[in-house]
Amino acid sequence: MAFNMSKWDRLVWTWRPASEREAGDSVVRNLLLHWFPAKVTKASLSIRYSIWLGTISALLFGILTVTGAILMFLYVPSVERAYASVKDLEFAVSFGWFIRAVHRISAHLMVAVVFLHMLRVFWTGAYKNGTAVNQNRPFNWLLGIGLLLVTFLLSFTGYLLPWDQLAYWAITVGTNIASAAPLVGEKIRFLFLGGNEIGQNTLLRFYVLHCFFLPLAVLFLFSWHMWRVRKDGGLACVDRLALEEKNAQAAPVASKTYSLLGIAKGRTVHVETSLVDHDRHTVPSSPNLTRRLLAVTLITLAVVAALAVFVGAPLEEAANPRVTPNPAKAPWYFLWLQELVTDTTIKIGGFTVNGALVGGILLPGVLVLLLGAWPYLDKSSVASVGVWFAKERRKQDMIFLAIVIFILVFTVIGTFLRGPYWKFYWPWQGWPEVPGRF
Amino acid sequence: MKSLKLLAGKEGSSRRTFFRRLGLGALFAALAGQAYALLRSLVPNVLYEQPQKFKIGTPSEFPEGVTFLEDRRVYVFRDQNTFHTVSAVCTHLGCTVKMVNLNQPRKVAVGGREIEEAQEFHCPCHGSKYYGDGTNYAGPAPKPLACFQMEVSPDDGQLQIDLGQTVGRDVRLSV
Repeated sequence: MAFNMSKWDRLVWTWRPASEREAGDSVVRNLLLHWFPAKVTKASLSIRYSIWLGTISALLFGILTVTGAILMFLYVPSVERAYASVKDLEFAVSFGWFIRAVHRISAHLMVAVVFLHMLRVFWTGAYKNGTAVNQNRPFNWLLGIGLLLVTFLLSFTGYLLPWDQLAYWAITVGTNIASAAPLVGEKIRFLFLGGNEIGQNTLLRFYVLHCFFLPLAVLFLFSWHMWRVRKDGGLACVDRLALEEKNAQAAPVASKTYSLLGIAKGRTVHVETSLVDHDRHTVPSSPNLTRRLLAVTLITLAVVAALAVFVGAPLEEAANPRVTPNPAKAPWYFLWLQELVTDTTIKIGGFTVNGALVGGILLPGVLVLLLGAWPYLDKSSVASVGVWFAKERRKQDMIFLAIVIFILVFTVIGTFLRGPYWKFYWPWQGWPEVPGRF
Repeated sequence: MKSLKLLAGKEGSSRRTFFRRLGLGALFAALAGQAYALLRSLVPNVLYEQPQKFKIGTPSEFPEGVTFLEDRRVYVFRDQNTFHTVSAVCTHLGCTVKMVNLNQPRKVAVGGREIEEAQEFHCPCHGSKYYGDGTNYAGPAPKPLACFQMEVSPDDGQLQIDLGQTVGRDVRLSV
C-alpha cells in the first residue's frame, strides 16, 4: 500500500497501480488528478467519440501559459521597444524564435481546436441532458461558448503585441468594427484603445488583458466547464451507454439502488451511471486516463514543435501608421468576418448601413445568440444524446453544417482569394504590382 | 424615528434588521465606490496624441496638385491659388486610402453634376473606391472621405488644418 513503498514506488505508483484499490487511491489522493473520476468508461476514452479535442484545447492552453510566461520576461510592452524586443526574440535570444513560434502556432491551433471541439459536441448531441436529474449540459454548452469567445479575444489581443505591420493593421480593422456598434461603439473603442488612435495605451491595455485578465477568465470558465462535466456524469456517451444497458434488458447489474420514497424525484447522475455494467464498460482512471493524457500531451507537443520549426511565426516590418499594407488582412479566423464586413454595406435609398455594423456586429451577434439558444430549442429525445449524427437530429445537423461551411468558405475566400484592394484573384492568378506606399 | 422605520423596511423589522441592512448597504456602496475608482482610472484624462489643429507650412511650399501628409493621413490639394483637403482615413474601417493617379483626367457625375478628376482613392483593406473629390462610389464605404477646415494662420501665414472640423466638399481656401 501507499505507506510502505520505496521512494521510487512513490514516484511511479500513480502510473503503475498494482490493484484497483491502489488505482482509485492514486487518483483521489493526488492533487493533480483528484478532479478525475476514479474509474472511467472505455467509451469516453475512445478517440472515435471525442477525438480528444477538449483535452487538446486544455493542453494547448497549458503550452501557451508556459511559453507565454517565458515570453513575458523577454518582451517589452512599449511602443518604442516592443518590435525590437520581438526581433531580439527572433534573432538574438537562444531558442527565442522557437518559443515564440510555439506560442503563436499553439494560439492558432487553440482557436481551431476549440472550434472543432464545439462541432464535435454539437454533432454528438453532447449538450443534451440524459435521464438523470440535476444534469445541466445546456449550461455547460454556454460556458463552452464563453471559452470560445475568450479564446478569440486572447488570440486577438496577442496579435497586436509584436507591433509589426501585420499586427497594427489587423487591430486597426478589428477595433474599427467595434466603433460601428450603435450609440456606444465610439466609446468602447476609445476605452479599448485608451485614446483615439492605436498607441502606447492600446499596447499596454492589450498586453495586460492578454497576460492577466483573459487567461484568468479562461482558467475560471475552464474549471467551471470541467466541474460541470463531472456533475453531469461525465461525457454524454455515458448516458448513451446507460440507456443501451437499460434497453438491452440485461441481467441486473450490481448497482446501489436508492429508494428515497418520494423525497427526491428521479435518479441522480451517480445512480444513473451506476446502471452501466462497470465490469464490462469501465476501467480504472489510473493508468488508463492518465496514460491517454500523457499520450495526447506527447502528440500535441510533437505537432506543435514540428509546426513551430517548419512554419514558424511571421514578423513583418515595424508598425507604421502611415503605410497601410495592400491588402491588409485580419487574423485568418476573423477573415470570414472581414469578408462579411466587405460584402454587407447596404444602401436603402439615400441611407447607408455600414458593413462593419452588419457584418462585424449584427451577424456575429446573431450567430452567438443562436448558438447559445440552440440546446434550449433542440427538442430531440434522449436517444440522441452522446451519439454521432443521431437520426432524429439530422435536420439540425445539416443546418449547423451549412453555417459551418458558410464560415469556412468565407474564411477561405478572405485568406486565399483576396489580393490588393481586396479584389478577387484565383490562386493561379498573379497579383498585380501595386505601389507599396503612395 | 419615522424615517428610521422607513429605512428598516416592512412593519415588524427590528433595529437588528436595520443595522444589518445598513452594514450590507455600506459594504456594497464601498465596493461600488472602489469599482468606480478602478474603472474610471482607465478612461484617460490626458492624451499624448498629436493635436487636432496643426500648421503644415506656407502655401508656396506646396506644389500644384496633391500632396500627401503621411503623418496626419491627409491629402492636400492645390489648384493654383486655392487649397482644400481630403482625409486619407477610409470611412469603412479606418485604413489609409491610397491615391491612384489616372492616366488622363476623366469626368464623373457626382450628385447630379460633373466633376473632373485626375486621381482617385482606393482602399487596400476592403476595396472601397472614392472619386477625386472624396465621394465614395464602390465597395463597402458608407460615406465620402471627410474634408477638413483649412485656414491661413494669422501669426505667420502658414496653412493650418483642423481635423476636428469637417467642411463641405466644395469649400476652398483662397490664398
